[in-house]
Parts: sequence; structure tokens; C-alpha cells
Amino acid sequence: MKPEFLSAVVDTLLPGDDALPTGTNAGVTAKLVEHLSSTATRDRDAYLAVLHAIAEKAGGEDVFALADEATRIAVIETVEKEMAGAFRSLTSLLLADYYEADSVLIAMGWRVEPPQPQGHSLPS
Amino acid sequence: MSKLAPVDVAVVGAGLGGAAFCKRLSERAPHLRIVCLERGDWLGPQNMPAHRKDWQSAILGAWAASPNARLIAGEPSLSADYPIDDSDSPIKPLMWNGVGGSTINWAAHFPRLHPSDFKTKTLDGLGDDWPFTYFDLEPYYDRNDVEMGVAGLAGDPAYPPKPPRPMPPLPLGRAGATAARGFDSFGWHWWPVDAAINSVVYDGRAACNNCGPCLLGCPPRAKSSADVTHWPKALRAGVELRTNCVTQQIVVQGGRAVGVIYRDAEGREYEQPASFVVVACNGIGTARLLMASHIATDPALPLGRNLMFHPCAYARGMFKEELDGPRGPVGCSIYSHEFYETDLSRGFARGVQLQATRENALLLQALRLEPRWGREAHRLLREEFRHSVPMLVMVEDLPEAHNRVALTDEIESDGLPGVKIEYTLSEDSRKRLDFGLDRAEEVLRAAGAHRVVRVPLAPLTGWHLLGTARMGDDPKTSVTDARGRCHAVPNLIVADGSLFPTVGAVNPGSTIGALALKIADDLAGEVGRG
Ligand SMILES: Cc1cc2nc3c(=O)[nH]c(=O)nc-3n(C[C@H](O)[C@H](O)[C@H](O)COP(=O)(O)OP(=O)(O)OC[C@H]3O[C@@H](n4cnc5c(N)ncnc54)[C@H](O)[C@@H]3O)c2cc1C
Ligand code: SF4
Repeated sequence: MKPEFLSAVVDTLLPGDDALPTGTNAGVTAKLVEHLSSTATRDRDAYLAVLHAIAEKAGGEDVFALADEATRIAVIETVEKEMAGAFRSLTSLLLADYYEADSVLIAMGWRVEPPQPQGHSLPS
Repeated sequence: MSKLAPVDVAVVGAGLGGAAFCKRLSERAPHLRIVCLERGDWLGPQNMPAHRKDWQSAILGAWAASPNARLIAGEPSLSADYPIDDSDSPIKPLMWNGVGGSTINWAAHFPRLHPSDFKTKTLDGLGDDWPFTYFDLEPYYDRNDVEMGVAGLAGDPAYPPKPPRPMPPLPLGRAGATAARGFDSFGWHWWPVDAAINSVVYDGRAACNNCGPCLLGCPPRAKSSADVTHWPKALRAGVELRTNCVTQQIVVQGGRAVGVIYRDAEGREYEQPASFVVVACNGIGTARLLMASHIATDPALPLGRNLMFHPCAYARGMFKEELDGPRGPVGCSIYSHEFYETDLSRGFARGVQLQATRENALLLQALRLEPRWGREAHRLLREEFRHSVPMLVMVEDLPEAHNRVALTDEIESDGLPGVKIEYTLSEDSRKRLDFGLDRAEEVLRAAGAHRVVRVPLAPLTGWHLLGTARMGDDPKTSVTDARGRCHAVPNLIVADGSLFPTVGAVNPGSTIGALALKIADDLAGEVGRG
């Protein structure tokens, strides 16, 4: 699948805002390429099926990548309805990569270090 | 199959009930040879994800709370799971299968039942009375508090007086203080929870550093789980714990248990003869093993029936001011028992616990949003993250025979029959949930929430697996007597959450531990000190 297409899917799902980076800028598209190229990825077939369906509904990968945001959202919403389970798996994967990215944690006002060993302080 | 040298007591399951039982019996009757068989393994801090950058997504894989989700994730499993067909239940069973049992991934909220919970039949004409009272169990609650290590504040007016808590309470944090303000504005009861979590160094274990994700295990060992509280002492007292050993069958001859058959990690089968067999595999595993062993399986008997979970709902309040986010032990802050006791003017009997919890990790908050993607999802998450207080509404579930654990026709890879659960939410539980949600929303709004979101029934809250081998005096309506002895096989003892005749509206861990100590004392009394 073309990187422009994958990037357009990711950035429609994770568009970012004035503080949050887009999914692609947070590294999610690059990770998606890795997930799709590894046969060890659980649910890989489901992810591929969803992505193929998006491309098909849009009239091709390039058409989707060049479409305006409203059109991309409409295509994805249709696929979400038709393939609810597989679509949910794909969004879980992408959300996990996004909300574990340093740039997103920082934009959300959270720290990048894991909970341990330093823990957190709390008012009593 | 190899036949091993006989032991005095064979215990199945090294979770909360099994661990507390083994430790206590080994202290009270040191001459006994006690062997515990556990299907899972030990878990060290090095296996826990809270040190890793990808800690948040661990809850989607090897650290999911649901054994089915862990099996589906297919990652190398730390928990020795078996599949549970839960398609006929709106609430999904959660557990951990390894040394420490479900206390490995529990939240360690540690309330006791109320005295009224032991006599719902007498007081409200519902459920069944326990075969003893709160005050019979009280000394064991007290002992168990010391053994587990409990942080809290004595003087809670919802309970008969308790001794000073072994440790001071955990910090309320901004979220807890906010919820407390809401309760105060109505003059409603609230209290810092009893938590089986170290607020200071206790029993050689570190104090909690408020890292947050207790359901991913606790690397500093501040959270009391049976592998760090009871097992080291039980092992020192001479109990032998055999891990990765799945018990296949309890062997019964002439109405007495004579031992168990188990399978080790290499698939070898052993017969372990024993004078007493104790089962503590939790509300699903115990019923499964007893049924697989053809014990008390007459359909007229209640084995496997009366499964109770504590149905749960959530109200989550969004606040303008910055709160704690996912800081602090996730399940332990403050609770209210204002609506715990029966008041028929509410339209139902029995009650509700309101528990202000702390927030989940950022990713978990993102995953449960609706919509889950797009600009609106970002906006909602930014509004919520570090600005929310979740209020868990946990209600009493009463015993109903049709809610049950049953075997399937399959044989699973662990050698045991497959298991399924059938559960429907009762009308009264629904009423309790709706009542609790209304009160929770009132509290959150009074505390200043500008928006409250409700989850009317949270599916992934099957934390408490109770009631499927209930105690009682009548062999026709109960599986065991008050001492956990099976009516059908008197030297077969149950020592876990399956025993509960009713469950109140509080988390069961404190009561399971106390019950296991009581049952151990009872057996020690019978066999003497040697
Ligand atoms: C995510 C989560 C959060 C929770 N939070 C709380 C809380 O805050 N407060 C609270 O009070 N409770 C909580 N609980 C519930 C609490 O952990 C359980 O009620 C308690 O651990 C049950 O004790 P038990 O002895 O009945 O079973 P368990 O602790 O589940 O132990 C059963 C053991 O038996 C073993 N076993 C099963 N079958 C076999 C077999 N055939 N052969 C050998 N071994 C076997 C299992 O591997 C397991 O180790 C929570 C549970 C979960 C999962
Ligand atoms: S919050 Fe405290 S108890 Fe929970 S895992 Fe972190 S250190 Fe352990």
C-alpha cells in the first residue's frame, strides 16, 4: 500500500489539533507500515481488509489520499459501519501507537517516562 | 501416571484464598505436610510493564484483565489461562492465573462486608443468611488486615468499630478531595477506603509511590498480593508450592476425597494422595474442577449456580480545574456507603457502594471514547484528561440459580472440560445501578462537574467471581457447610470466593482472606498440633 494512502487514513483518524501532532507526525504511519509488513502481526489480515475496503470505497488509494477531509471521513464511516469489529481492532492499534508517542504525551501535558520507577506525587 | 507419597493436605490454587489458607494452617498445625498445586507460575517485578515505555498498551495484550482477551492477544502469557465462554453474560469474567491468583492484577480496595450482609434473608427476605455472623468473622478480618497490610482510617461510621488500621490512609489527591466535596454538600457518608496497599513501608515491602496502574502488577510490591504477603511466609513454614501444575480431578472413593490428579508443565500426570483436599480456584475454577470430578453434580444441587459478580456502572465527571489524571492507586481513594443499607422507599432492597476511583492511563481513556477517532475524539480527550473524576457504582447482586458456571462438551488444552457462564442482570440490580448512577451524578455535579458521562453497565468489570459453591446448613441448598466442608465429601474443603451465600455491595478480597483463615483454623482445630 502506498505511503500517501496510509498517511491519509492515519491522519483522518488522528488529525491532531493546535497542540496535538497528526498521526503521521507522531510516527503512527511509519509504525503501521511495520505492522503490515510483519507476518507476526496479530490481526494483520483484519487491518489489511479494512484498508483495502477504504481504498475500494474511495475509488482507489490515490483518490482517497487526494480527497478532502469530509470525503475521507465519509468513506471511513461507511467502512466502520460495515466492518465494525475489524475497524475497531485497527483503531485500537493506531490509538496505542499514537498515545504512547512522546510527542503526544507531551502535548497532553503528561510525562514520557513510564510510571516506574519514579512514581508520582499526590497531595494528601 | 505416577503415584506420589501421600500428604496431609493438598490445596488447589495459590490465589488469595489458597495462600491465606496455606499460611494459616502451616502456622497452626506445623506438623502437617501441605502441598499446594497452582496452574500458573511466579511473577517477578521484571515481568511487569510499569517500567516500560509501552506500558499503556500492555492492558491490550498480556496484561488484559480478561483471560479471554489475553488468550486472543496470543502474546507469551504470564497467566496460565483457560478460555471461558462468556457469550451469554453481559459482564465478562476477569482473573489472573498464577501464584497470587487474581490479587496479581487486582486494585486492592479492601472493604469488609457489613453485618447486615450476613443476614439478608432475615432482614429483607432476600438471598440467604450466611451460616455465621459478621462478628464470628470479625477476628479473622482483623488478623487478615494485619497479614495483608491495610492502609486506612479507623472510625468509619458505616461499620462496627475496627482496630486502628495498620497504616495511615493513602493520599486522597485532588480527585478524591473533589469527590469528597460533592458528598459533603449533601451531608452524605464518605470515608478514605481501606486499601491493601502500603502507605508507608510495611512488612519489609516499600510504600506505594502513586505510579497508577495497579492492574499491571506492582513492581515495588507496595500492593498486597498473595504472592508477596502470604506465600513467602507459608513457604518458610514448610508448605510446598508446585507451580505450573493443573489439577485435573479430585479423586473420591467411598464418599471421601483421597487425593488429586494433576498435570505438570511437561504434560506428565501424577496422583497426589492426601487426607484432605482443599479447593481455592475462584468462583469459576472451583466449580469447574468440582464438576469435572463429578462431585455434587446432581442438577438439583447448587454447585455452579448463583454466580454473583457485583454489577458495576460508572459516572464520570469533567471538571474545569486540573485534577490528578492517572496518578495514585487506581481503585483506592474514597467511598460512600450512604446508600448501602436497605431503604425500601428507593424501590428496591439492599444497596449500593459509590467509589470515587482514580483515572486510567491516557490510552485507556482514549479507547473508551465515543467517537473514538477524528477531531471530536481529540477534543473530548483533551477536555477529560487530567480533568475527570470517575465514580464507580457497585451494587449488590443476589443469588439466582440461573446465573451459573457450567461445563461445555469440549476438553480444553489444559485437560479439563471447557467452561461457560450464563448470567442475566436482574431487574433489581438494574434499579440499584440506576439509583446509584443518579446519586453519583448528583455528587459529581455538586462537586463542580460541568459534564457527566454515564456507562450504565460496564462489561469489563467481572472482577468478583462469587457464590458458585455456597456455604449453608442445608445440604439441599448449599454445597458446603459453614466450615467450607462439602456436604457430599466431608474432607473436601472449599476456601475461596465460591463460598459466599450473598455478596453485599463491596469488593470481596477482605472477606475471602478472612474466610480462608477461619477455615484453616477450623481444620487446625480438628487435626490438633501434632
Ligand atoms: C482486575 C481485577 C481487579 C480486582 N480488584 C479488586 C479489589 O480492588 N478488591 C477486591 O476485594 N477484589 C478485587 N478483585 C477480585 C479479587 O482479586 C478476587 O476476588 C480474589 O483474588 C479471589 O480469590 P480466590 O482465592 O477466590 O481466587 P484467585 O485469587 O483467583 O485464585 C485462584 C487460583 O487458582 C488457580 N487455579 C485455578 N484452577 C486451577 C487448577 N485446575 N489447578 C491448579 N490451580 C488452579 C489459579 O491459577 C489462581 O491462582 C479484582 C480482580 C481483578 C481480576
Ligand atoms: S500505584 Fe502504588 S500500589 Fe499501585 S502499582 Fe503503583 S506503587 Fe503499586
